[in-house]
Amino acid sequence: MNWFINQVRKEEWSPYAAGALLGVVGILTVVLSNKLLGASGGFENIAGMFGKAISPASFNNTYFNFVMPAGVTYAVVLLIGIFFGGMLGAFSSGTFKFRTMDDAQWKTAYGSQPWKRWLMLFAGGIVLEYAAGIAGGCTSGLAISGGMLLAPAAFLFIAGMFASGILTALLVYGKRF
Amino acid sequence: MNEYFVALILGVFFGFALNKAGLTRYTKIVNQFRLTDMAVLKFMMTALVVTMLGVYPLRALGLITFPTVPATYILGNVVGGLVFGVGMSLAGFCPGTCVAGAGEGKLDYIVPGLLGFLTGAILYGLTYQWVFPPIAKIANYGNVVIPDLWNVNPFLAVFVFAGMALVLFYLIDRMGMQRKHT
Repeated sequence: MNWFINQVRKEEWSPYAAGALLGVVGILTVVLSNKLLGASGGFENIAGMFGKAISPASFNNTYFNFVMPAGVTYAVVLLIGIFFGGMLGAFSSGTFKFRTMDDAQWKTAYGSQPWKRWLMLFAGGIVLEYAAGIAGGCTSGLAISGGMLLAPAAFLFIAGMFASGILTALLVYGKRF
Repeated sequence: MNEYFVALILGVFFGFALNKAGLTRYTKIVNQFRLTDMAVLKFMMTALVVTMLGVYPLRALGLITFPTVPATYILGNVVGGLVFGVGMSLAGFCPGTCVAGAGEGKLDYIVPGLLGFLTGAILYGLTYQWVFPPIAKIANYGNVVIPDLWNVNPFLAVFVFAGMALVLFYLIDRMGMQRKHT
């Protein structure tokens, strides 16, 4: 039992152990809810909710009414769970802390100015969410959820993601790649 | 059981797994693309194999049906993936890991990260009707899975995939496919 508690408290698990846990969660999502895991979809539902509150006319379209309906959906609750899951993990290893610029390698790649990181994460968020929309899902909703059902879409997405991701890292890191 | 309660609990375990795998850190994500740390690939492949070993037999036993399978429309899946990879490699996160990292207290994930995803969601939702239908029309195979598309036995497909994953893990861990840290 002590061994088990120590394992749970470790800051980083073997990726095989953490992946197996996610695999079980993936099975349970299908068995208990007949749904798939996802993350980018929940952002669309929340965006629709905010949009309809601020400017009902411009958000009264097919997308926010039918494709990704505005409101607190299953995907939104899943996102809330992911947030608290990250928190639980951080508390379990004693690493929870309000912080910014905590990544040493980021500083060697981009410098230590916080505004650069904030700008990059904001712009990155926009690009990732838009790309997920076009692809039909993100790393969770398409790569993992589609891949586990053996959907070709997932493997096309993964291939594209790794190809451009590796090329981008090559450009950012140059000689240090 | 209440559907939302189930979603909350499953989400907690999902976020917990992302945290324990270390995927909520920029270094972990970008080093996958530098091929100096293969944890992201191992994590994803393990999850895929475990889940398919569960859901395919359960479906064959008639205990479950598959939820709507993510649609295959080749151009959109690939182009979306290509753009996604650029963003993920530059910023070092994706929608799920940003939310889990936000829960860990990372202020740069909580403020610009979450706001970025919401902004992207608004932009996509407002332009969807012009952008998505033309792309989704090209090479669209619908909500299909590989065993049906290629007309192979689903269990054969699952075992081949699992075998490929094991060979990949072996190559990474034993044959030194992972590049050395510099």
